Amino acid sequence: MVFSSIPFLFFFLPACFLLYYAVPGASRAAHIWKNSILLFFSLLFYAWGEPVYLLLMLFATLVDYSSGRLMTRFGDTRKKRRFFLVCALTINLSMLAFFKYADFLIGTANALLGISVRPLGLGLPVGISFFTFQTMSYSMDLYRHKVPEEKNYLNYLTYVSMFPQLVAGPIVRYETVNGELHDRKIKKEEIQDGILRFMQGLFKKVLIANQIGALWEEIRLLETGQASVATAWLGAVAFTLQLYFDFSAYSDMAIGMGWMLGFHFPENFKYPLYAQSVTDFWHRWHISLSTWFKDYIYIPLGGNRAGVARHLRNMFIVWFLTGLWHGAAWNFVLWGLYYGVLLTLEKYVWGKALKTLPKIVRHLYALLIVVVGFVVFVFDDMAALGAYMKSMAGCAGNPWWGEEFLWYLGNYGLVLAVGTVLAFPVYPWVKERLAAWGEKARLTAGCIALAGYVALFLAATAFLVNDTYNPFLYFRF
Amino acid sequence: MKAEVRIRRLTAAMLSGMVLCLTVLFMITEKKDFSENENRYLAELPKVGLRQIQEGTYMDGLTDYVSDHFPFRDFWIGIKSKAEMLSGKKKINGIFLAEDGYLIEEYKKPENTERITETLKRFAQTVEAQERDNEIEMCLMLVPTAVTVYREKLPEHAAVNNQMETAADIYEGTGIRPIDCSGYLESGKGEGSLYYKTDHHWTTLGAYMGYRAFCGEMGFTPTALEDMEAQTVTEDFRGTLYSKAGDYGRKGDKIIIYENPADRLTVEYKDTEETTDSLYNLEYVDKKDKYSLFLNNLHPLTEITNDTAETDRELVLIKDSYANSMVPFLVRHYKKIYVFDTRYYKDGPSAFLAEHAGVTDVLLLYNMNTLDGDSGIRGVY
Repeated sequence: MVFSSIPFLFFFLPACFLLYYAVPGASRAAHIWKNSILLFFSLLFYAWGEPVYLLLMLFATLVDYSSGRLMTRFGDTRKKRRFFLVCALTINLSMLAFFKYADFLIGTANALLGISVRPLGLGLPVGISFFTFQTMSYSMDLYRHKVPEEKNYLNYLTYVSMFPQLVAGPIVRYETVNGELHDRKIKKEEIQDGILRFMQGLFKKVLIANQIGALWEEIRLLETGQASVATAWLGAVAFTLQLYFDFSAYSDMAIGMGWMLGFHFPENFKYPLYAQSVTDFWHRWHISLSTWFKDYIYIPLGGNRAGVARHLRNMFIVWFLTGLWHGAAWNFVLWGLYYGVLLTLEKYVWGKALKTLPKIVRHLYALLIVVVGFVVFVFDDMAALGAYMKSMAGCAGNPWWGEEFLWYLGNYGLVLAVGTVLAFPVYPWVKERLAAWGEKARLTAGCIALAGYVALFLAATAFLVNDTYNPFLYFRF
Repeated sequence: MKAEVRIRRLTAAMLSGMVLCLTVLFMITEKKDFSENENRYLAELPKVGLRQIQEGTYMDGLTDYVSDHFPFRDFWIGIKSKAEMLSGKKKINGIFLAEDGYLIEEYKKPENTERITETLKRFAQTVEAQERDNEIEMCLMLVPTAVTVYREKLPEHAAVNNQMETAADIYEGTGIRPIDCSGYLESGKGEGSLYYKTDHHWTTLGAYMGYRAFCGEMGFTPTALEDMEAQTVTEDFRGTLYSKAGDYGRKGDKIIIYENPADRLTVEYKDTEETTDSLYNLEYVDKKDKYSLFLNNLHPLTEITNDTAETDRELVLIKDSYANSMVPFLVRHYKKIYVFDTRYYKDGPSAFLAEHAGVTDVLLLYNMNTLDGDSGIRGVY
């Protein structure tokens, strides 16, 4: 099930929260009831889209849960603990490799060796990249004595399957929610804030990401040579905005629903397009993923503390894997390595010089790299990627700008402008100003916000209903 | 409590209240089976079963069901279109908001040209190979839609794929004698609306231009419009494009029908075995789907006899709905017209031709916009 859909918004969500809040008191029994309701709805949420793969998720959680129990029970030496950890990781990674990467490996082997093994054609289980990373983080943290063992399987399953963050992050670590999983307070203010945060995410997804996404879909379908240079760049910018709003909207909705449930998930995006360098970008984009790779791969490998050669190797490994995590295709690897190389260059070559440049130049530098990077990200067909890059460079025999550019600008100009403004920290800036202004200004702003929320909610609902609006052009069948 | 905190609380309460209201409304409102506006049956509650759940079809069905029966569905569509128009969009759900109040459907890049060409070609060859006393005159007419004929009304900078290029490919590939009516439509622009402003069909005037092109090719003298009886049957036709664009509040179109007082018609709908003397079913005037008044909507095979026709020739007409408003002009020249809707007629018109020695002409008529997705092409053999 996706958050931005009618069944979720008008049926799943009300049912889940009405039941959840109907549990009275803060006793231990009430807590167990709340967790059970949360677990039930989370499993329903997953099964809605992936009824069969639900078993896979249950299995993955069972593996890490059991290995955790065994590690604590029998792990009196480091060696034994490591054994249980390696078992858990092996199973998790094999599962991920099999379900996500098997066909990619087969395809690559076929191409390299000139053989023809038939692809398996398995559907990708939704959220597998997220939940395997979550369960692995638990096992590794347990191994390092960073978290206590979870004794109750249902609690563990609740942690992994919790529907707000199950399919698209943030990648919540056991360490973060362990306390709240066993005892949490649900405050009224946080419920309110959660509702508003969720709604912001919904608006971002439905009204901005989807709309700008439609522009990108139109531009990507143009034949090479049909798109002028200006249009090709407009397309790249549109995809960048679409991805940012789509992804960060999901995190917003997840975090908001977390608050409503009494959980505090980590922030996942901090205005990544406002970065001043590539390094800065990765401190702002999909933070729960980049810190995951940092904490569980980069640092254990020695990070940058073991000489330049080791550092370069570590960078290569981490960014190869970061790329690959995003999808089973070579363009994702290329995209990861692109960042690996740029980050290394920033560290060793031009990082210092960059800092002396005017701020605006640094922003433009980072933006350019990010936008070009997402073009690599979006085409899993290398030939199409090459052709699109050519269009952007004006080497496809295409003009600098054309009629179609004006058409797109006219049709999508407003939503692009709104998206661009909101992709930069304008909202926090206004909030800060408001705090400095008087009570009256804040009151007015509150009223405007209320009207805005209501209007945007109506608009978002209208767009959701329209998704299935399908008048028959012809006769009825 | 500070006032601004109270406003924040009110905002959150209102939003959750609105969600709950809609949920409750969904549960208490009566469900419709059919949407007039969308001209289709709405999703039914899916069947539950282990297999349906395992395959996910139950969940998909339920998703369709709640979306289809969402309260005030048409109202939401209207809001969505208004929001898009406010944001500067000139194309909504694939419909251009063109000048002079025209809604014009875009022409998507065709995907099935080769398959269509192949099917029509094979049909022509089959018919040619049949042994018969007379030669059959077969023609193909591919009608450009408003996106081509009224391209000057499209919003500024709008790009469109070239329909007539595709048409030329099909003409050439099939080898069937082409009738290009675009010249007639171009020159007829001054005489009135050739396409409905809110529907994807041509008007009866547009159909008349197509008829003149046909006469020009076949050597008939077209009946002058003045010699026919015109009747405005409705001024409130809000067609498919009206629904698709969702820009409610636009004015409806006029539908004018023409009858030639000299004709003595018998119209036989073979599937329902109904027989009438009119090419029109005016009961549709009171419905949403008013274009269906031409030839009474859908029938696999309709046999039209004109006792006072100017020739003894017989025509087999294989077509989409564009032809329905052209038939009233054609009947003057044919003693019999057999009208096929090959989406429903399953035995293949060539078999019919083999059994009907009297047929002299075959006309294949399709409009360029729906041709690519026309499921009836499969039935042409």
